[in-house]
Amino acid sequence: MIGITGYAVYLPRHRIEREKIAAAHGTTPILGGERTAIGVDEDALTLALEAVQALELPECRGIYFASTTAPYLERMNAALLAAACDLPEEVAVADFAHSLRAGTVALAAALDRVAAGGQGPIVVVAADARQAPPESPEEQWFGDGAAALAIGRGAEVLAEVRARASVTDDFLDFVRRDKDERVTSFASRFTLQGYQRIVGRAITQVLQQSGVSPSEIARVILPPLDPKASVRTAVELGFRADQVQETFLERVGMIGCAMPLFLLSAALETARPGDLILLVGYGSGADALLFEVTPALGRSRRRSSIADHLEGGLRFPSYELFRKAREYFRHHDEGPVVSNVFYEKEEARTIRLRGTECGECGLRQFPPTAVCQRCRSTEGLREVKLGRRGVVFTYTVDWLAASPMPPTILAVVDVEGGGRLYLQMTDIEPSAVRIGMPVRMTLRRLGAGGGVYHYYWKCRPEEQQHG
Amino acid sequence: MGESLKDKVAIIGIGCTKFGELHEKSLQDLMVEASFAAYADAGIEPDRVEAAWLGTFSPGFGGGKASVTLADALRLYGKPITRVENYCATGTDAFRNACLAVAAGVYDVALVVGAEKLRDRPVRGLQREGTHPYLEAGSTPPGLFALAANRYFHRFGGDRRTLAKVAVKNHHNGALNPKAHFQMEVTEEQVLNAPLIAYPFGLYDCCPTTDGAAAVIICRADLARQFRDDPVYVKGIGLAVETGWPFFDPTFEYVGFPATTAAAAEAYRMAGIRHPAREISVAEVHDCFTWTEIANYEDLGFCRKGEGRYFIEEGRSALTGDLPVNPSGGLKSFGHPIGASGVRMLTEIVLQLRGQAGARQVKNAELGLVHNLGGPGSVACVVILGR
Repeated sequence: MIGITGYAVYLPRHRIEREKIAAAHGTTPILGGERTAIGVDEDALTLALEAVQALELPECRGIYFASTTAPYLERMNAALLAAACDLPEEVAVADFAHSLRAGTVALAAALDRVAAGGQGPIVVVAADARQAPPESPEEQWFGDGAAALAIGRGAEVLAEVRARASVTDDFLDFVRRDKDERVTSFASRFTLQGYQRIVGRAITQVLQQSGVSPSEIARVILPPLDPKASVRTAVELGFRADQVQETFLERVGMIGCAMPLFLLSAALETARPGDLILLVGYGSGADALLFEVTPALGRSRRRSSIADHLEGGLRFPSYELFRKAREYFRHHDEGPVVSNVFYEKEEARTIRLRGTECGECGLRQFPPTAVCQRCRSTEGLREVKLGRRGVVFTYTVDWLAASPMPPTILAVVDVEGGGRLYLQMTDIEPSAVRIGMPVRMTLRRLGAGGGVYHYYWKCRPEEQQHG
Repeated sequence: MGESLKDKVAIIGIGCTKFGELHEKSLQDLMVEASFAAYADAGIEPDRVEAAWLGTFSPGFGGGKASVTLADALRLYGKPITRVENYCATGTDAFRNACLAVAAGVYDVALVVGAEKLRDRPVRGLQREGTHPYLEAGSTPPGLFALAANRYFHRFGGDRRTLAKVAVKNHHNGALNPKAHFQMEVTEEQVLNAPLIAYPFGLYDCCPTTDGAAAVIICRADLARQFRDDPVYVKGIGLAVETGWPFFDPTFEYVGFPATTAAAAEAYRMAGIRHPAREISVAEVHDCFTWTEIANYEDLGFCRKGEGRYFIEEGRSALTGDLPVNPSGGLKSFGHPIGASGVRMLTEIVLQLRGQAGARQVKNAELGLVHNLGGPGSVACVVILGR
């Protein structure tokens, strides 16, 4: 049995009301509610890592990363994710890109790898933070987010893959050239018809293969081409509206190639053993994958749910700050210039977040050291992976530090399992910071300079803020 | 345990420029002004100086980090000159090194200059060089001390109002000092209503970025009376270095600075001081931020840990208190040109011990203390001077 052994999502904490975007342009919103939006220290890679961490896997044999907005065009983004997960060099990595279908393409590739005898689990993570032109409808209805799946075999499979089909069609709907920063949309009635035709062909094929009729499907997941396309298309293809997975457009938005995987997580949250789930990915063709939920789903530990992510959130006070957060490090390459010689030595501590444990006195310390800070022993020191949760020991809210989004919150954090870190704190109102509050470590973009983005760990509140 | 420095070295000359935003002057101008004032005060010709130590943190252009910065400014050639940098303890550490050489009998007369021109730099605040691009990203000097202040409040109570009392006191003292960067009183309300810099510090909780220079001439104690009738003697010096990254130390309590405690213990041992609060008449301590002064009271043994807030609240550190602290106005009001500060604080204590401190003179000054604290509480130097 091959299929999904774990699922998780991550949404950035920031939101902006569509009313606010529309008002900035003197227009009315195309859709109610709000969209998710990255903060200045986030990008598709940092969203992806959060989703991977939320899987809480004891082991991981591969990371397949899908995104149309990965920060690096040359340098394997999945390799950076693997390092941040402190995975060994045997890990299988691949980047999938250039299409809203990249998420399901990566999923299909992971299923292939496991089916061919590869060891699982393989993590498939999709994340996007797409740039839309100001004043475009897409600026309002796009959202940012990530979703991750673990693919494996055996008794842990929660949803077994029953059938798969793909069609390829070089249909012109959303494009971005190598020189473009923002998506160009060809949305029209004609585009909707093309979407329905292409999606229809993939669905028909997978249903024929499996001998399943539309009425037997518990949930059909269609990534939205526009705010209304999913239900309309499903109904035209013979499904009832109540079979169609809700798309969260009024709370999240269209989160690019992460959308199918995100919606699959939503479907799995409420699914029962025996349910058939039909997942569709769309873009330059379509993928259709039919899953059957197994009894293992009921036994699996429930992690953070989509409802938790929808709770609370931080609203950008203005449209200008929403845009600044998305674009600042694209236009400001002012960060430090570091050599690859320096970076090579840094990786263990700044990306893998390793420390040292003293074999003599047991003290865990960061950064890694050759001499124990407490007992000065040089014997029996071993490099260890530090915990990724902790408690704020002390903090400050600093208005002097140079930052595109002041103030800068600095926290000294006692790490679960030992060690102490000094980190910026993010995703929180400055007035809400308290000594003793539980936090999680989160890799964020500190800046850009010298041809690279600088990533380092910050901390964020463990509990999502309410209200 | 080594020998004590007590009564082996004397200060026979002092010089100090006006501190402030000295836009029309260069680092070299300031070094010349302070040094020649010190020569005159000691009644010596420049040639009498056998060796010199320069304390600077950010020496800028023209000589940069080498000792030629001082040599060229003073045209002091053919002599041993050493530049010292040790975070904000730069000035006192330059002095300490000079004292060690004179006490060893290698030189009879030596010059110590501390100088800094912070306003010539193109950045706000104090920029530290060589900080780690990731591990220290977002760190600022007020932020680093604010981490400790917030933890201290969490442990022992107190709030921004406690801090404001330090600012009010040191501004009061600075207003009496014509060489101070600021000569203005401030009210508690002004302090509390100022813009926040790094919570809990507002603008008036932070020392300014300042230009200035100070110099002292020292000699072998047994020669001191050849130069003047009222030499001031070095009674003890301690320097201690702790981690530069206290925020990574899982055992660090963040309510005070062990570097100060260790440096004070060494200086007190040399000076034979057992009860610092009773024996010390006057102190210039490192009030880079208002809370730092409160921590210093405790770490220097003026009161117990956690009771520093009462030391200020009860007026014990005021000019009229039983242990006046920062009669000069402190870093808060006199200003803090990094390398200059420690030497400047020595000149203040010398004036107090000589009875030449004018409107801010404390009564019966017999034994004075100078304290510098550098980095995030990492480096401390304590000097005891007496008559």
